Amino acid sequence: MKHRGAYAAILLSTLLLPGAAMAEYSAGDEIKVLQGFKAGGGSDALAQLTQPFLRESLGVDFVNEYLPGATGAIAWTRLAKQTEADGTTISITNTPMLMTNYIMNDTITYSVDELTPIANVVTDPGIIVVPAESPYETVEEFLAAAEENPGTITVGNSGVGGDDFFSTILIEQASGISFQKVPFQGDGPSATAAMGGQIDASFNNLGNVYGHIQSGSLRPLAVFARERLSMLPDVPTLSEKGIEVVAGSSRGYSAPAGIPEEARQQLIDAFEALKTNEEFKKVAEERAMNLDIQTGDDYRQMIEDMEGQFEEIWASVKDEING
Amino acid sequence: MNDSLVMVGLSNVLTFTNIALILGGTLLGLFVGAMPGLSATMALALLLPLTFTMDPATGLSMLASLYVGASYGGSIAAILLRTPGTPSAAATVLDGFPLSQQGQAGKALGVSLFASFFGGLMSGIALLTAAPLLGVLVLKFGPVELFAIAVLGITIIGSLSQGSIVSGLLSGIMGLLLSTVGMDLITGTPRMTFGNINLFSGIEFTVALIGLFSIPQALILIENAHDSDKVASKITDRLVPRLKELRTLMPNILRSGGIGIVTGLIPGTGGDTASWFAYNEAKRFAKDKTRFGKGDIAGVAAPEAANNAVVGGALIPTIALGIPGSSSTAILLGALMVQGILPGPNLLTDYGDVTYTLIWAVIFANIGLLAVGLMFTRLCVGVTKVPDSFVACAIITLCVIGAFAINNSLFEVGLMLGFGLFGYWMNKAGISPAPMVIGLILGPVMETSFQQSMLIGQNSPMIFVESPIAMVLLGIAVLSILQATPVFRWLRSSLRRGARTG
Repeated sequence: MKHRGAYAAILLSTLLLPGAAMAEYSAGDEIKVLQGFKAGGGSDALAQLTQPFLRESLGVDFVNEYLPGATGAIAWTRLAKQTEADGTTISITNTPMLMTNYIMNDTITYSVDELTPIANVVTDPGIIVVPAESPYETVEEFLAAAEENPGTITVGNSGVGGDDFFSTILIEQASGISFQKVPFQGDGPSATAAMGGQIDASFNNLGNVYGHIQSGSLRPLAVFARERLSMLPDVPTLSEKGIEVVAGSSRGYSAPAGIPEEARQQLIDAFEALKTNEEFKKVAEERAMNLDIQTGDDYRQMIEDMEGQFEEIWASVKDEING
Repeated sequence: MNDSLVMVGLSNVLTFTNIALILGGTLLGLFVGAMPGLSATMALALLLPLTFTMDPATGLSMLASLYVGASYGGSIAAILLRTPGTPSAAATVLDGFPLSQQGQAGKALGVSLFASFFGGLMSGIALLTAAPLLGVLVLKFGPVELFAIAVLGITIIGSLSQGSIVSGLLSGIMGLLLSTVGMDLITGTPRMTFGNINLFSGIEFTVALIGLFSIPQALILIENAHDSDKVASKITDRLVPRLKELRTLMPNILRSGGIGIVTGLIPGTGGDTASWFAYNEAKRFAKDKTRFGKGDIAGVAAPEAANNAVVGGALIPTIALGIPGSSSTAILLGALMVQGILPGPNLLTDYGDVTYTLIWAVIFANIGLLAVGLMFTRLCVGVTKVPDSFVACAIITLCVIGAFAINNSLFEVGLMLGFGLFGYWMNKAGISPAPMVIGLILGPVMETSFQQSMLIGQNSPMIFVESPIAMVLLGIAVLSILQATPVFRWLRSSLRRGARTG
């Protein structure tokens, strides 16, 4: 029994290994990708989307290593502190989690200064959704209700430290309104609670609720994007309503600090090429993944901007939350 | 319901490739399920990339059958080795292993297989006929109702405390206490992690389970390795249960299947919870409660029917609403998304051909399970002929692999061994680990849903009173606590006396 199981496992892993590759990438012919979450989750979905294309352009095999725990911090600590900076090991980095982890917890000691940001690939924009039978038809009505009854409109988020939690605070600070924030264990449960009418609204991400919006079980009020989204052309952005909040959950790739410049440039070029790859764009659209490719210094800038913003927010709210 | 789509789904399943893959998936599920530490969720995640290149119907059929196979496979090791292969088979250990010790391993495995088959089939039929209807129920279960379910679940601890109530409560409370390790949901503050980031996500429940059940069993096997009377190897009984026996067990199987479907439906509770609920109810309805825990076949049938019924139950909200009912169905949902099918209520209409194929695949996987299970289980029984000292080494090896595989980290292996030593001590002290396991499963559910309820209800406990579902569930919980106290016995006897005199 046990032997057969073991054979099955070996068989399975051989099938999973990609085929032969040509050696083009300067750092080696294999790249290990540390994933801070379980197999089958959102990070894995990104890996399954991008890595087949990168394998072609870089001529390397990708080996995924899953190190779940502490919202990614175990994998990112390993990347920053215990990985040789030779370009053979990279990691999928989720923002804002990558920064909020150590901003909120002193025990987590890595920081983005110990990383080389390579490229952001997808951004799932934030969105306000309400139950189908909600009295709020527009974002104005919703905000007006929250202004009249401070701290009583219940708003679900995906958990303390996640992007929805911080965008709720950003909106509160930008508009002077206060909500009753209810954290859930992920975007899915938060959306479900809104569908069931247990909470007044859920601050979520487009990719998680798009199916429910299409079927009419959730109503979108506003998106936290710079411009209106092609998938939801009728839904206004928050900045249209005078609230300058642009937020979302992004995923990309980073390497340890100080990897060889040649390897860094090759990786960046490979991601740059994805921008114009029509097949890649088609596959991403099919899987409802919103591409937002920003490479090299642009990605670093994006991370540093967020880090500054979230440090400030956390400093202003942490006493209230921990009190 | 759209009849033509139902038929399209049926004809999609009935192709040679799909039937072959369903059987293959079931067999793979059996292997994975039988290994302690390797769970259905893990196997699904591993298999997922393989299905990308397949036709959606084929890929999903294979994933669904793997899920079905793993739900039964967990009971094999639970019955033969006292090491639950999957978390949802933990309750099966309580009566399955004693049966095996009494030389009735074949009977226990056979009943487990048939109970799994009936439970799975029931949930498949529920899925096919009532998914849109039952799916709506899910939305009625918010944090408030989930809290009530968790409280009701905790009361099971009382009925599992064999012998001493005090030691049962002690074990349960230790479980609850250990479940508080990790980040606080509301504040994000790490609790009792001692600065170790490996503990930030809390204690992985499977790690505790493997340690508490499997390691002590391996140590005990080694202790008794030189005893001459080894009962378990004398397996003379048959695998296929007698018709009469099945007929007696049927009400139990039907009830447990129902419990499994409902528990599967509710997001946040899964096979691990359902099997304990079913076990508890089987005991409550039994005429002779004293035989439970000592090898009552009803104690095997109940959890196994329930945990296989969870498969179909958890798929109901998944296909009716696009909400996964368990961590395994969350991965199935991911598989749909990769195929370009966005989850939502249109799964039954726009993508009906694929969805109904999935539903039929669940039904056929259960039939396949019966066939594959009979052959595979017969092989597994051979384990009991292996000398105990070898079995003990194999168990420990599997435990180490299983614990490592959870997060690919050695920390979990150490933690598992720690739980193992503690479990061994509990065993020697006569404290059952079962209540501790329940505490670990339900503790986080109870705490999280309580905190969420209080936030939603503006810190007023009235929110629990306002929910009729929560009131009924909490009422049952109070009754089942009273049932275990002298107050209840006194009430009942005085009522009887009153009836007689009046």
